Formats: sequence, C-alpha cells, structure tokens
Amino acid sequence: MSSSRTENLAAAHGGKAPMVAIAGGALLILSGLLSWSYDDRILDDISVRFFPIGIQIYAMGLGLVAVALGVLLMRRPAWLDPGKGLRILGIASIVFVLGTLIAIAKQAGGVVNANEGLYVALAGAVLATAGGFLSPEVHIDVRKWPRLNSNVEILIIVLAMALLLFTLAYTLNIEDGAVFGVFLVAVIGIVGGLLGSGLGAYFGFMGGNNRRPLMLAAFLVAFLFPFTQNGSDENMSIATQILVFAATALGLNIVVGLAGLLDLGYIAFLGTGAYVAAMMSTSAFATIGWKPPFLVVMLIGACTAAVFGLIIGSPTLRVSGDYLAIVTLGFGEIFRLAMFNLDGNNGPDLTNGPNGIPAIPDLVFFGFDFGEVHSIAGIPLGRFSNYYFLLLALIAFVILVFTRLNDSRIGRGWVAIREDERAAEAMGVNTFGLKILAFAVGAFLAGLAGTIKAHVDTSVSPDQYIFLESAFLLAAVVLGGMGTVLGVLVGATILKLLPEKLREVNDYRLLMFGLLLVVMMRFRPEGLIASKRRQLEFHEDDEELSELLQAEHLQEAK
Amino acid sequence: MDQFAQQLVNGLTLGSLYALIAVGYTVVYGIVQLINFAHGEIFMIGAFGALSTWLIFFGGETALWTLPIMLVGAIAASVLTAVTMERIAYRPLRNAPRLAPLITAIGISIFLQEAVRLGFNDPTLFLSNWNPLDFPSAKQKVPFPQIDVVTGQAFTLGGVTIQRSALFTIGCLVMCAAGLWYFVNRTKTGRGMQAVSQDPDTARLMGINVDRIIMVAFAVGATLAAVAGVAQGLQVTNINFKMGFLAGLKAFTAAVLGGIGNVWGAVVGGLTLGIVEAMAVQFIPGTFGGSPWKDVWAFALLIIVLVFRPQGLLGAKVVDRA
Repeated sequence: MSSSRTENLAAAHGGKAPMVAIAGGALLILSGLLSWSYDDRILDDISVRFFPIGIQIYAMGLGLVAVALGVLLMRRPAWLDPGKGLRILGIASIVFVLGTLIAIAKQAGGVVNANEGLYVALAGAVLATAGGFLSPEVHIDVRKWPRLNSNVEILIIVLAMALLLFTLAYTLNIEDGAVFGVFLVAVIGIVGGLLGSGLGAYFGFMGGNNRRPLMLAAFLVAFLFPFTQNGSDENMSIATQILVFAATALGLNIVVGLAGLLDLGYIAFLGTGAYVAAMMSTSAFATIGWKPPFLVVMLIGACTAAVFGLIIGSPTLRVSGDYLAIVTLGFGEIFRLAMFNLDGNNGPDLTNGPNGIPAIPDLVFFGFDFGEVHSIAGIPLGRFSNYYFLLLALIAFVILVFTRLNDSRIGRGWVAIREDERAAEAMGVNTFGLKILAFAVGAFLAGLAGTIKAHVDTSVSPDQYIFLESAFLLAAVVLGGMGTVLGVLVGATILKLLPEKLREVNDYRLLMFGLLLVVMMRFRPEGLIASKRRQLEFHEDDEELSELLQAEHLQEAK
Repeated sequence: MDQFAQQLVNGLTLGSLYALIAVGYTVVYGIVQLINFAHGEIFMIGAFGALSTWLIFFGGETALWTLPIMLVGAIAASVLTAVTMERIAYRPLRNAPRLAPLITAIGISIFLQEAVRLGFNDPTLFLSNWNPLDFPSAKQKVPFPQIDVVTGQAFTLGGVTIQRSALFTIGCLVMCAAGLWYFVNRTKTGRGMQAVSQDPDTARLMGINVDRIIMVAFAVGATLAAVAGVAQGLQVTNINFKMGFLAGLKAFTAAVLGGIGNVWGAVVGGLTLGIVEAMAVQFIPGTFGGSPWKDVWAFALLIIVLVFRPQGLLGAKVVDRA
C-alpha cells in the first residue's frame, strides 16, 4: 500500500527529484559556512561563520555527496541507483543534524543555543531525503558496469585506501564523545550513500579483479597507521586491542561463518593461549618453571587450545548443532571456573586463582625489546606500536589461513555442511572430520592470538574470559558478515572502538549491544558486509537478488 | 549416612529448582526446535516481578497471605516478557536459518539483564532518576522478602536439616508437575501442544492454531520459571540481575540430561542434576571436590551424557533435527 503510494509520488514528481536533491545538498554545504551554535565553548566551537570546523565540515561533506548523487540522478546511468543512496544519505543527515541539536541542547543547556546553520542543515537534510524518495525506482543492470584500465582501477583502490588511512587517523584523534558520535553518523551517511547507490557492488567487483593490489594496499595502510600517531601510544593501545579481537573473531569466523557451527565458548581458547603464555613467561608469578623461547610458547599455547577444541568437539559434533552451542558455552564456563579455582587450595597451583598472573614481561625478539620506544624515520614508536606490528603479522597469517581454507576443497566441504549437512554427507563429504577440523583450526588460531594477548595486556585473570566476551566475538562475526574477512574486521573495529570513544553512554553499552543483536538478526541477518552466498541463504525467495548475483558472476567470468 | 541423607535433601531442593526452569526449555524446544537461551532471564524476571509486587502492595508485610499474590505478580511479569519476546523477536525468524534465532536469543538475554539492572530502581530509565516507588537499585544484590512460615527456623529430622524454603521449592515442583500433567493430557490446548510437537504441518491442517500453541508453550515455561524465581528468592534471601545466566545454563543441562523435548525428562533430569551436584560437593575426594568445582562437575556430566546417551535419560522426542 505505502510502497505503491511512493511509486505514484515518484511517477508524478520523479523529474523534480534531482533538483530537490541538489538543492538539499547545496543547503547542507551552505550550512557549513554558517554558525551552528551561540555557545562557543562546546563541540570544538562551531559558532563562527565562514570558518568551517568539525561538525560544519562534516555537514559540507554530506552536502557534496548529496549534490553528486543529485547530478548522477539527472544523468541516470543504468548501473547505479542514486535514489537509494540519497535515501540513506538523507536519513543519516537528518540523524546527524538532530544528534548535533541534542548535543548542543545537552551541553549548552537548551535548544535555544542552536543557531541558524543547524536549521539550514536540517532543511537541507530533509530536502535530500525527499529527493531520494521522489526518485524513480531503478533496476541496477550490472552488465553496464564500466570497464576501466586495470592501472586506473589500481589507482582508485590505492586512493580509497589512502582515504581510509586518513579517516582512521582522524577518527581516533577525535577527543569529544559527542563530536565522535555525530562524525560517525556523517561517515555512515557519506559511505552508505555512495555504496548504497550501487557503487558498493561495483567496488567489490573491482576489488575482485585486483585482489593482490587490494590486499597489499590494505596492509600498507595498516602498516603505516602507527606513523600517523606522532608517538602517542593512547590510540595504539586501542588499535592493538582491536587487532587481538579481530584476529580471534576471524578464527571464530572459520567455525561459525564457514562451517556453520555455533561456538559460544570461544573465548576459552583465547584464554588457553593467554594462560599458557603467562605460565611460561618469566613473570615472578608464573607457575611453570620451563621458559622456552616465545615462538615455542606460541606453538604450545595454540596446540593446547586445539587439543581442548578436539576434546570438546569430538563428542558434541556427532549430535545436533544446538547441543554444540550449549556444550561450548558450558566449556567456556568450565574454563573460567577452572582458572578461578586452580590456586593451590582447590587443585594444583597453576593460575593463582582469581588474582591471575600479573607482571608478564615484554617480549624480546632477537634483541628487539617490545617494551621500549624505537624511532623510525624520526617518528617514535612506543610499546603498543611494537605489538601492533606483531599483531599485524598475526592477523595476516590468520587471513591467509582463512582465505586459503575457504578457497580449498575443505572450504567447499564446510559450506556444503553449513547449507545442508545430510546432503553433504550423501555427496561423500566427510562431515564429522571436516567439522572437527574447523573446530580445531579455530581453536588453534585463537590460542595463537592468546599467547600474544598475554604479553600485550601484561596480565591474565579469569574475569577477562567471561561469557560476555564470547558473545562479543560472535557479535563481531555476525555484525560484520559471516564468512567474510572484511566484514569481521569492520565488525571487530566497530565493537571495540565505540565503547572506547563513547564513554558518555557507557552504562547503556550492553543494553544497546543486546538490542543490536536482535535488530540485526531481524533485519539484516547476513551482516553489514555479506558474502554473496550467505546473503542468498538468508533471502532465499528474493529473485531480484539472485538475478543480480548471477549477472555479477557472469561479469566476473568475462 | 546422615551426610548422604542431608546431601540428598540438598540435591532434591536444588534439583526441583532446575526442573522447574528446565520444563521451559524443553516445552519450547519440543515445539519449535529452538533453544530459548533467554529463558534463564525469564526466571530472573520472575523473581524481580515478585519483589516488585511485594514492594508496591505490601512493603514490610511478611504474612503468608502475601505469597500467593507475589506468585501471581511473578508469573505475570515472566509470562508477559516471554510472550512479548516470542511475538517480537522469535516469530519473524521462524523460517530463518537456525543460527539466527539462537543469536537473537543471546541478544535478548543480554538486553533483559541490562534492562533490569538499569531500569529496576529507575522506571523512567533514560530520562531522570525519578523513583516514585523507592525501589532498591538492582545493580547490586537485592534482598528478597522473607515470608513467614516458608522461611525461618529449619526442621530437623534425625540429624538432617530441612530448610522450610526447601520444602516450599519441592512442594512447588510437585504442584507444578501435577498441574502440567493435567494441562498437557487433559485440556484441549495441551493436546494441541502435543499435536504441534509431533507434526506442526499436520496439526495446522487439523485446525490447530500453531502460532497460539507456540505462544502458550512460551507462557507455560515462563509460569514455571516464575515460580522457580520466587522459590530461589526465598531460599537464597537475595536476588540479582545475573542470577538467570548460570541457573538457565544448568537447567538446560538438566533438560538435555532428561532428553530435550520430553517434559518428564526435564523433571527427572533436573532432580538428577541437583543430586549429582550435591553429592559431588560431599563425596568427590581430594582438592577437586567441594563447592568450587560443583559447576564444573555439572557441565562435565552434560558432556558425558552427550557422549554416551545423546537422547537423554528418558529419550528425547526429537533428536538431531538440525
């Protein structure tokens, strides 16, 4: 009913859509030059005219994209749907302006402190949204994708990556929680608007053509990131946390995303690695006398985790998938309780009980001390930067394992099991063996990450390995996109970065987290960045989607 | 011998609690093959519902007649939450891949815990700290009202101490089991439930409203969980927002132990798990015995059962539908 009304509206006013959108964008750009607030002490001072800063610049960015989409709407390329992008951008812009209004009202004491720029921006945002809803429905035809020279494609990828690096460095340096929040909304609007209009699928296609340059550029960006921090270790500490989290989540993604086995106690494998590393470290509280070199410890930790994975997996993988979820959850609790109890009073003294093992020394690799500040090209790199590089190597390894497995016979077997276990078995797939392999590989990778985590955190204790952490890992996988590397990296970054930056709403963090899981499963179960196959699994009867995917496959095959 | 009898009583008490909660898992699983992970939270909300009822209507009064009204309050809170949850979160996912509802359940579980933690003493939640009812903050443990007759001086029977609240818990289980038996076997809705759990499609063809039956299943589970919540409050004398997690996990273990999908299996499994746990505290020698390890033994039991008898003690109605 409502959709047909929108269609009628679009049919009647479709011609005006580009002009409306461009006008909205122009108003947003103009608002950047105006004063947003009477109070010059809040939100980095947005009270000055003709000197855009912070929020004003974000508004101008939104406006520029709105104008660009409006122009595209006029030209109407067959492979783009600028209207959809405009809708995303417009709604995000409205949220952006209203969020700023709330921040102004809260910090300066009342809505009266908002100045003309904000209302101009609001009008612009509403117009841009209206343009989006007025624009005619477009069926994207991927066969019309422009084919560029491969050098041009690589150049675009490199530029996009450079932009990513700049944005990351900028994002992490925003101190004000409210500014961070609205910045995030603006980024969602700009990126969502561009990608949502069909550029996203095109970029994915382009990336698929140039896989190697893309990976290289991405790692180069990640590698260069510490050099943007001017020796400050504050953001690097967050970055190392994100990397540990992402590496573990990628391991979980093999289990959940590829093989479709729900593991709710995955944090225990990370904990196993961390505890092994702690017990074998040279800390005064370490409980094992043998001190092998760290590379050996890494292997021992990872193998111990894998053995635990085998022990826990072999009985449960024979029965239904639901049992596995609960048994792994039980295993996670057993692990935490065991670490809590093994303090010498109840069983042997391995873990110092609730106190854990503190004062784990920094790693030293061939004379390179991770605890010291090293200078490269005049830029000092602190302790966390050193670990950051180590973790980057780890994550590269994990990604390598993930992608190689995914593209192999084993990966095909996993997907077959995930989609229909009985059919897979009938086709001769060794379902039990492959499931147990997924479980063991996942546990191994988590154990590996754990050994490094122990040294980064300098201490291990049982309360780091509660169920909630497993739920967070699972959420990173689900939020980002099951079965994809990029999705999990995005999911892990979001889940670790937001709580660090949005300390104002810290108390409601978990409430929103729970709600997020429910809403995601309801409206976008395949995650933010979905693997194509997975997307079809969740939307089986969406014929348009399957047609689109087929056409894309054809294009890629060319 | 006294020790054994004492632990038997302790085990039966604990087991009755597990059994009451486990029925909720098993009833829902039997009908929609969904592990309602948030069921532990329904139990917790039952306890908080009872406490709220008591605080609103008779703060300070501890006479026995308040108990039935508290039970009604608990059941109302639990059933309302469970039915809303089913309607809003689970129903749209009924034909989704199996992973989706399980993740939703985790989300609901965290959401409900946090909602109680943040919202209990602050009904206006996000707006202000206005607290007209003067509820205590749920961020720490909240004392649960100690009702006359069912708490107080324990009975002793030849060296065995029996708490009054323990008798109350066991009594609740007996009454609920009898009521459940009557409901499932003698009422039209109960038979509808059996039919849907055997074959939902045929049941629909026979004119049974499957959506309604599923809702009833959630409500039945929530009712028993609410009773368990009150019993737990009386027994432990305080409640907190995290109490549902471990209890829910144990109850699920009990449901699997008895054979998930089988209502009587849940009762048997709950009692068995309770007794095993109590005996493990007393009789496992060396440093791995004692209460610090009792949860570990409970989960170990779950794994052992899955290895040797995955269909559970009484045999599950549905095995391996995944």
